[in-house]
Formats: sequence, C-alpha cells, structure tokens
Amino acid sequence: MRYILRRLGFFIVTLWAAMTVNFFLPRLMPGNPAMAMMARFHGRLSGQALNAMEAAFGINTHQSLIAQYFAYLGNSVTGQFGRSLTFFPQSVSHVVLEALPWTLGLVGVTTIIAFILGTLIGMIGAWTRGGWFDSLLPPLFIILSAFPYFWIGLVAILIFSISLGWLPTGFGYTNGQPITLTWHFIWDVIQHAILPATTIVITSIGGWILTMRNNMIMVLNEDYVRMARAKGLSPSRIMFDYAGRNAILPNFSGFGMSLGFVVSGAILVEYVFSYPGVGYMMLQAVLNEDFPLMQTLFLFITLAVLIAILIVDAVTVLLDPRTRRTA
Amino acid sequence: MATRHWLMALAAGIGMGGALGASPRALAADDGGTLTISDAQFLWTCGFSPYNSSSNFLAVGPVYETLMFVNTLQSAKTTPWLATDYSWSADKKVLTFTMRHGVKFTDGTDLTPSDVVFTFNMLKKYPALDLNTIWSQLTSVAQSGDDKVVFTFKIPAVPYFYYVADQVGIVPEHIWSKVKDPTTFVDATPIGTGPYTISRCTPQDVSYTRNPNYWQPGLPKIAHIEYPAFTTNPPANQVLATGQAQWGGQFIPNIKTEYMSKDKDNHYWYPPVVNVAMFINQTNPILKDVAVRKALVYALDKKRIAMIGEYGYEPPANQAGIVTPTFESWLDKKQLAEAGYTYDPKKAIAILEQAGYKRGDDGMFSTADGKPLAFTIINQSAYTDWVAALQVAAQQLKAVGIKLTISNLAGTDYNAKLFNGQYDLAYAYEAGGPTPYYEFRQWLYSPGSAPIGQAATTNWERYSNKDTDALIDNYAESTDPATQQAIVTKLQKVLLDDVPLIPITEQVDWDQYSTKQFVGWPTPQDPYAQPLAGYTFPDWGVIVLHLHEK
Repeated sequence: MRYILRRLGFFIVTLWAAMTVNFFLPRLMPGNPAMAMMARFHGRLSGQALNAMEAAFGINTHQSLIAQYFAYLGNSVTGQFGRSLTFFPQSVSHVVLEALPWTLGLVGVTTIIAFILGTLIGMIGAWTRGGWFDSLLPPLFIILSAFPYFWIGLVAILIFSISLGWLPTGFGYTNGQPITLTWHFIWDVIQHAILPATTIVITSIGGWILTMRNNMIMVLNEDYVRMARAKGLSPSRIMFDYAGRNAILPNFSGFGMSLGFVVSGAILVEYVFSYPGVGYMMLQAVLNEDFPLMQTLFLFITLAVLIAILIVDAVTVLLDPRTRRTA
Repeated sequence: MATRHWLMALAAGIGMGGALGASPRALAADDGGTLTISDAQFLWTCGFSPYNSSSNFLAVGPVYETLMFVNTLQSAKTTPWLATDYSWSADKKVLTFTMRHGVKFTDGTDLTPSDVVFTFNMLKKYPALDLNTIWSQLTSVAQSGDDKVVFTFKIPAVPYFYYVADQVGIVPEHIWSKVKDPTTFVDATPIGTGPYTISRCTPQDVSYTRNPNYWQPGLPKIAHIEYPAFTTNPPANQVLATGQAQWGGQFIPNIKTEYMSKDKDNHYWYPPVVNVAMFINQTNPILKDVAVRKALVYALDKKRIAMIGEYGYEPPANQAGIVTPTFESWLDKKQLAEAGYTYDPKKAIAILEQAGYKRGDDGMFSTADGKPLAFTIINQSAYTDWVAALQVAAQQLKAVGIKLTISNLAGTDYNAKLFNGQYDLAYAYEAGGPTPYYEFRQWLYSPGSAPIGQAATTNWERYSNKDTDALIDNYAESTDPATQQAIVTKLQKVLLDDVPLIPITEQVDWDQYSTKQFVGWPTPQDPYAQPLAGYTFPDWGVIVLHLHEK
C-alpha cells in the first residue's frame, strides 16, 4: 500500500512539473498566434487582418504571464481548455475529441498487435536460437525498424495504392459519405487503415523482438529453467510459464509507456496518409503556436503516460513477487 | 478497388437522388455531377464564419455572397451581385448600393437592405471581424428608402469599394443578431444567399450541395462539390492526376509529365497576380543609399532566377512593379525602358565604385569606413522554390562583390521579423488587389507602416515619402480611369527612381483543371475570375456557377 501511495505522490508532482513546462515552453517561441495564422495563409490575408486576428485571439490583453499561468492551471484542473487558435473558433475539446477516436483506433490497435507479435517472435526466436526462424524474422524486422518511417509509408503508397490500386492512398475513410455505424462504413474505415496500420506494425515490431529475445536468452540460462527441463515439463510450458513470464517484465513496462504515448498519435503516419488523428493536430498546433490546443494535447499525453505507468507498476506487483516484498 | 468504385458511385448516386427530389426546376442535360477540388491544405475546422481567416474562403462565394464581384484579372471589372448597382457621390465620400429584389437566404427568408446594414455594423462593433479594417475609413452605414444602402466614409475612399463590395459576405440579421459573440461563433450550418449549402463537414472533407432556390435562374448546374483536406502535396497531386479530382490549386513540379500527359483533357493556367519582391529595409545604414539599391537591381538576373527557382512557371517581374500580362494596360512601357534597368553586372559595379564603395582584393565591396556590403535576406523555409531562387540571387550578387546570406526561417518567425522590420532584406509578397494600385499602397503608404520593432501590417520596408503618400491619397478621390492611370504611372516612377523594393518574380494562381466532365473554366481568353481553386474568394464561387457537365 505504501508503495502505491508513494507512486501516487510521484504522479502528482510529475504532472505539475509537466504542466508548468507545458505552459512556459511554447511561449518562448518567436511571434504570436496571429502571426502564425498570417504565415499559414500567406498571400491570402492582407496585412490589416493581423489587427483583427489579434483582437479575436485575445493577444496583447496585458495580463501578466504569472496571472495567465494560474488561470491556465485552474482551467486545466476544471477541464476548461478554451478555444483552439488553429481551428478557431472551435473549442479545443471539440477538436481533440474529433481526432482522438481515429488515433486510438489506429495507433492503439497497432501498438497492441506489434507488442504481441514482437514478443511472440522474440520468445520463439530465443527458444529456437540459431534455427531458421531465429535467423530470418528477428533480423528482418530489426532492419525494417531502422528505416525512416515516411520512406516506408511512401513506398507502400506507391506500390499498393498507385501501382496496384488495391488500397486507398490516404484519409480515414472515403470522402463524401456520412460517418455512420454500418458495416459498409466500417469496412471502408478498415480498408483505409490497412496501409498505415501495416506500416506502423512492421516498423515498430523490431524493438519488441529485440528486447524480448535478449531477455529470454538470459532467462533461459537460469537455474530454474534447467530445473524445469530436468523435471521433464513440456517445452511449451517451460517457454511460456517459466521463461516467458519472467522475460516479459521489462517489455511489459515498455508496453505501458507505449500505450500512454498512443494518445500522442503517430505524427509521421498521420502526415503521410492524411489521417485525421491527434498526431497531425499536434504538428499543426506547434506550427501555428496554438497554445490552448498544444497545452491540452500535451496534458493528455502526460496524463496518459503517467496513468499507464501507474497501471504497469500495479500489474508488475502482481506478476513479480519480489516487488511485493520491497513494498 | 472495385469495391471502392462501387462505394463512390453509390455515395454519388444517393446524393444526386436527393438533389433531384429537392429541385423544383427542370433539369437540362448538362445538369448535375460532383466536382472534387484537390488542394494541399490542412484539416478543416468545420466552421464557416465569413469573418474568420481560417474559414472565410470556404464560405464567401459559394455560401455567403457579396454586394458586387470585382475581378482582379480584368482590372477590377465589376459585376452586380447582391446589389444591382452602385454610385459614388461627387466628393467620393458617399457610396450608395441598390439592392436586388427577390434574393432569399437558404432558410427561405428574404434578403433585405437591413441585413446589409446589420452585417457592416456588426463589423464595427466587433473589430476582430473586420479583416480589412473597413471601419478605419467608414463613419456610418444606413438604409435609405426601400432598397438602398448608403456607406459614408471619413475621406474620399474609392479603393475601399473593393473591400466593401467584394470582400464582405452578407449574413442574415435574424440569425446573427441572436449570436452572443460573433467573434467566436463557429457557424457550422451557415445560412447564406449563395448557390451552395454545406451538406456535411468532417475535418477531412467539406461537402457542398446546391441551393435549389438560388436567385440566378437555372444555376448552379453542378449538384455537389467535395473539398477534401489533404495534409501534403503528393496525395493531392495524385488524385488530380488520376482524375478523381477535377480542379487543383497546388504546385506540381514538372506539370507536363506529372499531369498534362495523363489525360488529353487536363489543362493548366497560371495567371500572375502579385510581385514576389526583395523588400529593402529603408532604415539599414548602407541600404539607405539609393546607389546600393540600384546596384542590386542591375546585379540580379530575374529571368534566370525565375527559370531555376520557379521552373519557369512564375514569370520574371519588372522594376515598375506592374504584374504582366494581368495588368499590362497599366504599365508605362516607355518610362520603364527609359529607366534602363537590365541585367548588367558591370553597371552594378560601376555604380558602387562611383558612389565611393571600395572593392577589396577578394572582389567584395565595402563602405569607405570599411564595413562590408554584406546583407542577410529573410525567407520562408517552407517555400522550397524561394530557397532555390535566393541561392541563384546570392551567386549573382557575389559576382558584383555583394555578400548575401540567406536566412531561411519557419513561417511564424519569418512573419514576426518581416512585420517588425527586423531584417536587411526580405523575400515576400503583398496581398495585392484588383488593380496595381493596391499593391503600391501596401508597399509604399507610410501611414500603413510602423516603427521598427512594432508590427507593420503593410509597408514592411518602412518607406516614407510625403509626395508618394499624397499620390496614394489622390487616387482615392477619383473614379476616372485616366486620372487613376496617371497616378499609377507616377507610382511606377517611385519604384524606378527610389527602388524601395525589387520585384523579382510574379506570383501566380496555381490552377489545374480537367475538361473531361466539366467545362466552362476561366481561360486566358476569358479570365472571368481568379482560378485558384477554393482559395480566392468570392472568385471560386463565381467559377462554380460557370461550370457545367459536357
């Protein structure tokens, strides 16, 4: 119990620190949101629009930075995130809620798939060390994970969308149809998700394989594994229950972190595939000095990662008896 | 793939059926179809306020309409729209519009002069909506009689006709008067008088459906418009090349092989509209000297810069500052020829030597007291064509002994430095307007500027000359074409004599279109509106009214 309480205290301090950095860092950027808007619409807006936009965005209100900071802390706690300046005058909550399901669906599912596949491949690779499986799959995926993501994405579009014409080039669904919960639409969404999802999985799987395989090899040398073999247990039981369960612990905390980061989306993926998710939104927020949107997105990411870590800590206590003793 | 075609056909079919059922008029053979616009952008806000810079171009034209349509490509040729006529008082301070009868908003209510009065008074009450600061010149807007609206200005204000008549979308009073704060009003389901309504919007796509009761009889002919939001150029180019979109407004490198060769019905037209220029900071101690500025003009080979930097799609500009061929009739060719500006590096060196600058052993010039002629030019790092163009310029300046350092900045940083005057040279362009006068005013009018360190909305180079200001003021007092022409000729002379900036290339409207399904596009022979897809308002609303199926 004391362990969990200590973790909770750590959680709150980290959250406050992150929120503070989150407030001050963007304000060190040159210019202001109105100028960023001018930059985005360059040539279409006459210079006079600057004054109008500064008025609309509430810039130069002569409120001190410290007063703004405390207002921001208060608003964040009470869930009032204000209006996005990039997507003015939509509220930040509206903008984020519109993008979040896409990202959670795409990045969340692919993160889980990549973790499960990677862990399995790493486990089996280590178990059959030196065999054909081990010499083929882990090196292949580790090499793939070293490729720049946007390159793989563009090549995939070129082959499967443009040359072969099997899959759409981008977007979350076919334009011009209503968003409804029909099989028709769901099938459309899945078709649009295949390319981005596959490319995320094949580029991120390598990392899971590498750590899992290394841990597994170490664990396989432990005495209790030798003991299990001597007892004559079935190989699959040794692989999953004896070696696998212990080797997965480091990978598991990594998985918790990745799940937290799902909220931040996958900026490059969403950019390459024009996917309407949070990652693309975050890029826009930063480029346009959209303080309210940026702050909210970073707050969500921080919260998600911290909560994920908290959960992982709790689950580790369940999986690993040794952590229970220290607590 | 087969499934996808089927899906799209189904979606289009359902939409068409709806429009057929709603339309009370007989359909001609060329009626219907879905026009798709392809244009690298960003995700949509799904707000359509005509007074918000991030959404007005989606709404003004197709949804909200203006009092008149002023065509930039035909030297401000004016077409009656919601107003049938206008007149200026003799002192050019009172502008009276006569409103059209029988125009309805899409919710069935009539458009009345009081909607116009309400619209403009709302801009007065909320300066955040007044994107062209019209109320800096206006004193009042009021209804007169049954069908007239009278605008009273503080001073003679002929150029403000464009902003009042062509740039402000008229909204219904019975809806907007109930809006608590129009500044933050999203306007997700806009009610306008225009040929289209918004039938659906997601961050990824805006769908327009035609207004069956539109006031122009038999129009619009196109049933639906889809405007998807692409986040990057390559996929946008792709849907254009494959014919999934019929109208594009983006840069396509090597357009002959990437687009024209894909289909015999593919066309492009890139009409120039404003100058891309080197803005010269007039407060820089060395650049203050007009001899240095003139030497820069002779040292730069604009043709080569346009060829290498802009693939030849954007033509080289002239020092008179008149965009050709768009504003050809305004250009005083004799005056330009007499000024004698050609690419002549020897002359550039001669001018500098004559003005007392010393050329060192390394070939580089410095001032009499030893300061090198070295300047930094700020540039938009995102515009790769500009980056390439300036590299060519830097080589050309080096050849005459002037060092040019290129500072490629991110958009916001660049704009902050440009507006605040924190640069030696800046590569930029102004918004322009329907005649060359607007660009001259934005370049040269000193009341539009601001001290260094404060944001200037126009006149970023901080040029200040009382005679020039007087010329610009005089233009506002006259609607006589000959007088206007004479003033613009004098303003060209200012650019030739004083060189406050150096026009390098001419910014064009990127316009790609396919005549496979739809015809009626603007062309060099019939430039009835600016063709930049979804970008220039209200022009693109005018274009979709001209289009119809083959």
